[in-house]
Order: sequence, then C-alpha cells, then structure tokens
Amino acid sequence: MSLLEVTGVKKIYRARRGGTAVEALKNVNFTVEKGEYVAIMGESGSGKTTLLNILAALDKATEGTVILDGMNLSTIKDSAIAMFRRDNLGYVFQDFNLLDTFTLEDNIYLPLVLAGKRHQDMSARLSQIAPALGITDLLKKYPYEVSGGQKQRAAVARALITSPKIILADEPTGALDSKSSDELLALFKQVNNMGQTVLMVTHSTKAASHASRVMFIKDGVIFHQIYKGECTDQQMYQKISDTLNLLASGGDLK
Amino acid sequence: MKAGLYSKIAADGIRKNGRLYIPYFITCILMVALFYIMHMLGFSGMLSNFEGASTASDMLKLGTIIMAVFGTIFLFYTQSTLVKGRLKEFGLYSVLGMNRRNLGRIIFFETLISWMIAMTGGLIAGIGLSKLAELGFMRLIAVEVSYKFTLSVPSLVTTVIVYTVIFFLIYLNAVRRVRFASTINLIRSDKEGEKPPKANWVVGILGFVILASGYYIAIKIKQPLSALIWFFIAVILTIIGTYLVLIAGSVLLCRILQKNKKYYYKTTHFVSVSSMAYRMKRNGASLASICILLTMILVMISSTSALYINREETLMNHYPRHINAYASKYGYDKDYGEIAEKLKSSIVEKTREYGATAKNETYFFNYCLSGYFENSCLDLDINPMENFATIDYDKVAQVYFFDVDTYNKLTGENESLAEGKVIAVIDGKVDVNDELKIGKETFDVIKKTDNSKAKLRNAVSTNVVSTIYVIVDDVDKAASLYKDYKDPTGSPMLSWYWVYDFDIDLDEEHQTELGNILNKLMHDELTSKHFVNYCDSRVYQRNDFIKTFGGLFFLGILLSIIFLVSCVLIIYYKQISEGFEDQSRFGIMQKVGMTKENIKKSINSQMLTVFLIPIIFACMHLAAVLPIIHKLLQLFGHNNMPLLLSCAGVCVLICGIFYAVIYKLTSNAYYKIVS
Repeated sequence: MSLLEVTGVKKIYRARRGGTAVEALKNVNFTVEKGEYVAIMGESGSGKTTLLNILAALDKATEGTVILDGMNLSTIKDSAIAMFRRDNLGYVFQDFNLLDTFTLEDNIYLPLVLAGKRHQDMSARLSQIAPALGITDLLKKYPYEVSGGQKQRAAVARALITSPKIILADEPTGALDSKSSDELLALFKQVNNMGQTVLMVTHSTKAASHASRVMFIKDGVIFHQIYKGECTDQQMYQKISDTLNLLASGGDLK
Repeated sequence: MKAGLYSKIAADGIRKNGRLYIPYFITCILMVALFYIMHMLGFSGMLSNFEGASTASDMLKLGTIIMAVFGTIFLFYTQSTLVKGRLKEFGLYSVLGMNRRNLGRIIFFETLISWMIAMTGGLIAGIGLSKLAELGFMRLIAVEVSYKFTLSVPSLVTTVIVYTVIFFLIYLNAVRRVRFASTINLIRSDKEGEKPPKANWVVGILGFVILASGYYIAIKIKQPLSALIWFFIAVILTIIGTYLVLIAGSVLLCRILQKNKKYYYKTTHFVSVSSMAYRMKRNGASLASICILLTMILVMISSTSALYINREETLMNHYPRHINAYASKYGYDKDYGEIAEKLKSSIVEKTREYGATAKNETYFFNYCLSGYFENSCLDLDINPMENFATIDYDKVAQVYFFDVDTYNKLTGENESLAEGKVIAVIDGKVDVNDELKIGKETFDVIKKTDNSKAKLRNAVSTNVVSTIYVIVDDVDKAASLYKDYKDPTGSPMLSWYWVYDFDIDLDEEHQTELGNILNKLMHDELTSKHFVNYCDSRVYQRNDFIKTFGGLFFLGILLSIIFLVSCVLIIYYKQISEGFEDQSRFGIMQKVGMTKENIKKSINSQMLTVFLIPIIFACMHLAAVLPIIHKLLQLFGHNNMPLLLSCAGVCVLICGIFYAVIYKLTSNAYYKIVS
C-alpha cells in the first residue's frame, strides 16, 4: 500500500455572492510511496498550492479522496484536524512562518509542546536533528536575528521534530538566495536519504531536479511525470526544462 | 484642491480601518471626558464646602496627573499600532509618487480628524456626564446638593491644551516613523519582526525595592498626624514602584518563568508566557496605570462607604446624647468654675421652661495641654511650626486634667487622691513612669491605667494623637500652675473645655427646636466673653452627617464608575488590537498543529494574567494603605476597623465580579478575531 493515495481530487472555488465557480483542480490522481522525494511543478495558477493545502488538510477537496497511511483525510473531524496535522505532517512554508515571539529553539519545540510532550524528550529529539541541520549554535536566537536560510532550516527542524509521515514543502526555496537554496535542497536530500518522505511544490527547475520524481500539474490535472532513476541532478535538470518547454509551447506529451 | 485630496485620503483611511479606529476614538473620547471631569472636580474648588474636601481634591489632582501621563502613554501606544497597520499603504503611496512631505500631510489630517473627534466628543461627554452625575446625586441622596456641577471654563481650556499637546506629540511621532523609513521598508513593514525586550534586572529590582519601601512606610505609620505627611511619600513611592515593577519586573518574571522548563513547556503556558514577555514592556505602563486607577477606586469606595455606613456610630461618638452643649476658651481663669456652674443651671432652667426633663446627664469641665512627649516628660517649649520637618509626630501628646470627682462620675470608679498625687490614664503609645513631668512641674503617679477608658475618650471627643488623662485632686489648682505658659504666638497654652450632654423626652422636631433655643442662650451668655460655644441636637447633626458622608460616598461611587469603565475599555481595546496583531501568529500555530481547544486555553491563560495583574497589585496596594486609611478616617471620628475591612472586602469583590464579566467578553472577542 502506498503512503499517500490521491484519487479523483477536485476543488471548486465559488465567489462569495454566488458568482462564477472556478475549478482549481479537475481530477488529480497519484500515489506517493514511503521514502520517496516527490516534486510537483506547475506555473502560477496551475493549482499546485491548492493541491498542497488539501494534502495538508488545511483545505477540503470538493470531490475525491486523499488517504494518508490508510487514513482518509475527509473523514477526520474538524476538531481533530489540527491534532492530525501535528502528529502526521510536517509543513515547510515559503515565508518560513516562524513566530517572532519565540527563539528558534522554542519555534522548533512548538508542535511538541502542543502535543504535550515532556521537555527532556523534546530536547533529546532536537539534539538528534540540530547538528544535521547546522542550527545548533542558533537555537537561542530570535528569528529577527538570523538570515533567511537559517530561518528556513529552523522551519525544517520544526517540521522534522515530530517525525512526521510526510513532509510537505510549499516553495521552500522561494524566499532564499541561491546559496541558501542549494544548502536547503541538499538538506532535503539528506533528510530523504534518512528515509523521510518529502513532497515539495515548486516552480524552480533546480529545486525539482533534486527530487526522485517530478510531477507536472497544468490546469488542474497531473499532466505528466518523470522519474529521476539513475540520472544525475544535471541530467534531471535538463529533462525537466525540456518538459517545461514542451508544456509552455502547448505540446502534447501523450 | 490638493489639500482636499490629502484630507480625503486621510478620512478614507480612517473609514476603511474602522474596526480599529472606532474603539480608538471611543477610548480617546472617554479619556478626554474623564480628564475634564477630574480636573473640574479637583481644581475648581467646587468641593470646598465639603468636610474632607482637601483630601478628595488632592486625590483628584493626583488622578488628573495620572490621567494625563497615562493618556499620553496610552495614545502613543495605540497610535503606533494604528500607524503600523497603515505603513504599507503609505509605502504604496510613496511608490506612486508621493514624497515624505505629502505623506506627512496625510498624517496631519488624520491626526487632525482624530483630535477633532476626541475633543468635541470628549468635552460634550464630559459636560454631559457631569450634569448626569448632578442629577443622580439629587436622586440618590434626598438632600440638597452642597455643590453644583457647572461648566468650568479653566478646566475646558486645560483639557484642550493638554490633549492638543498629546495629539501634537503623536503626530510628530508618526511623521518621524514615515520620514525615516525607505519606501521598501514601508511596504515590507508588516513583515518586519520586532525585537523581543531584554529583561532589565536593575530596573526590575529597583522597582521592587521602591514598592516595598512605599509599603513599609505605609504600614509603619502609627499616628494620623504623621500619616498626613508620610502618606503622600508612600503614595508617590508606590506609584513609581508599580510602574517600574510592571514595566521591567514583569518582563523579568516572564524570563524567569521561561527558564523554568517544566512550567514553560506546557501547552497552556508556552504561547501565553512568550507573547506576554514580548509585549510586557509596552504593556507594562498601561497595566500600571490601570492598577493605580483601580487602587484609587478601591481606596475611595472602601473609605467613603465605611464612613457612610458607620455614620450613626460616628454620630454617637460625636454627640453621645440628644442635646450636646460645649464651650471652650484658652487660658486659665479662677472664675471658670463659677461660669460653668452658672451656664449649666441656665441650661437646666431653660430646658425645664421648655417642658422637658434632662436624663443621663454628662457634665464636666477640664483643662488641656499639648506638647512633645518623651521619657515621661511633656515638653511644652517646642515650637511645632519651627520644627515642622524634624518633629516626630508620633510623639505629640495631649494631657487632660480631670478632677477626681469628675473621673469617678464618668467612669463609676471610687478613687480618692491626696494633694500632688495623680492617676494617669493612658490612651495611645506613650510610656509614663512613676514621675510624670509636665512642663516644669512634676507629678507623682500613684496609679496607671493603661487602657483607654471609652468613657473618658468620649468625653474629649476623638483622639488624633496620644492622650494622657491626668486625674488630680483639684483641677483648678493643677491648671493654675500653667497659667503663664504661652505658645510662640503669645496665646496661652492651656485650654479649658466645658461639656454638658443630656437626653430628653421629646420628639425629634422638638429636640431640634430645643437645641436651637439652647444654642442661642449659650451664644448670648458666652460669645461676648470670647468663649467658643455651641449646643447641638443630635437629630439636627444626623442630617448633616448624612449630607457630608453621603456626598463623599456618592462622589466616590461616581468617580469609581468612570475609572472602572475607562480601565475596562482600555484593557478591551488593548486586547482587541493585539488580537489583530496575533491573527497571523495564531494562523501559523494552527498550521503547525494548534487545535481550537489549545487556542482557547492559551487565550484564557493570557487574558487571565493581563486582567489579574492590575487587580492583584491593586489589592496589595489597598492592603498596604488600609492602616493609613483607618487612621485618616479617625480624623472624621470613624473608628471601626472591622467595618472598614469588610467594606474593602465587598469592594474588591464587586470589582472582581465586574472584572470577570469583562474578562469573559474580551476573551470571546479576542478568540473570534484570532480563529
């Protein structure tokens, strides 16, 4: 059984006063296996963020089902959604979403504190992941005192610390300079190598080239996907940009 | 045309941000109104007909100053929140080609509009509320008002000046923020993180020390006379201490809590402690101001209600019988005894003529001296005016010379004394040895009664300072020893008191009438001889007591309501505007896995602290000043500690209930905003 199964997902937004309906997702079907590193690519307005929000249980699909590790997201009660998210998902945002009232350490602890964990357990877990993320020296600092790349690493630590079933990343390199982006991507790869499933939404070809599989979304459907296989990052980059060119010129891959 | 554009942009800005501006305006209006009313009551001399008016108006003057300081701080804080929300908009205007001066003009019009609304609304509300208060006063206490709320021009002018200055400062501050920020910074301003405050150990500890010394002074004070001087110092220290403790100490406390991992890393504490630590510095000042206003409420209501409720007992102490005649004069005269007897017999005769019979008579006269008491010696040579600053008021004492016969009559004892021997009855904290020296004379004390004999205390009305009753075999002879003692102004130190109180079998109306007749009689007989004299019926005085104490009580209630409402409004506004700031923060936390339940709990814990801090501090302050209040109330003849305590208790309870309601409302509103 796959870790994540997305079947026939459809999302329709209605304007508030009965205006026209917009179909953000038409019919999305895919699965993600445990330990995979998947990137979803698409242009602005292609529906990729909508999809990610549905996967993260931040939004509900109009039709279709999302099953994570045997649990159907649409059957989870509203009151239990936050708890579900906390226990099963790690989310990395484009603009970090760190709280400026907390030190980095406390920001990372937040989901565990919410889950009612003891402090010893939390610090034990943090001491395991902090060196790999290179943030050990930054833990006592506040978000305003560190760089964007450092903030994003802390945000990744926050996502990792709950040992989630899957990490969802929404344009994680979007607000970073190229050096920080490279570091972050290397980090994701490292995390993935340790067995962590990662699903990333991006429109950066470079970011996507690190993934083991890239799916392309266009006009609300999964249009195409390519596997990395034995390719290098360089070759993968080339494959992706060829596909994007085809997509942009309106070519039909099927 | 161009000016029209700026004012239009300013007005639009206010309209579009209505959910923040409307509570802001309401707060401004109430603060202006409150300032006006307090200034009017405190400075216009309207309360001058009142007994205890100086205390009330001092309190109000203090309140006015606090309101001005507090108003400045609070409006600065709210305005900076408002401007912060609009910086992005200003950034956009700047991108579209407005320069800094143009932006300054928009801010100018915005401040102008706020100023106009605050001023007109505030002054109208102030005048209206004061009129309403007058009507309420008439209704509540069915006696004529001894003061009127009229329009006070000086207060109007002061209010306008003070708030114009405050608004001008606010304007300058807003301009400064826009002027020194680049366009990019303006646009990104809502994303910019703010530095959490560092704990300042020095200021925090200093605050605790100052607060503690204020408390120490307040608790240490033993005598009402010294209380008046030290009271003020204690009040100032407490106010400064409160501000420092709440501004720096509270951050310190949060940091200490954060160090305690077991406490801090709990779901309910984690978010609230950290966001309080983050905000406390700028919140500290408003919390401290609220706390001081609350303290004033508690002090006012508990003291005035205690006075009002206890009025009958106070009346009884002042006027133990239906008819109370009193005469006094400085100096010694051997004829006083004769005058006393004659006065008594003419009163008895007049009463009989009126057709009434006197019962339960209390009749006596005595001599009194006061001086500086130390080592069993009453020093009569110290000039209290010259030594005003250095004198220890706890050592000022009065000596009353009583005849042993009068003493026996008043107390029901059966004592007899040889010449030169005395009995000392001591009321207060003075130590008398076997030899009592008064001025240059020495008396042999053969007996000391340490306790205050209630009957003797009643005989000399209320005790403000320590008192020694010296019982002698012949009061005339004892007094004659002091006939040549003069005080620095040249008038005799000795004073003679004459008291004749009795009950009569008449109805209330006739008691009043007889009282007036006797008063006239005494006046005719004594005034030409320079005696201070009066004769009061208790019935008549009762009305006066109700009027005075009722008036004070009403004033206390009135001010407390205004204070309380504005305190609550300020807290409410503060929390609501913080709610808007926290919206995104709670959004993030929900994404990270905070449940609605968690949010509710964390809001409750945060609110509870914000609400509880001022009232807990206010209760502490109240507890510290209660001893002083008790002593000050003694000046009014009030000596009922249990009543004062229960009044304070009820008062705290009522405030607490009121608070609980507002707490519920505020946390609901906050919850709605953030979730």
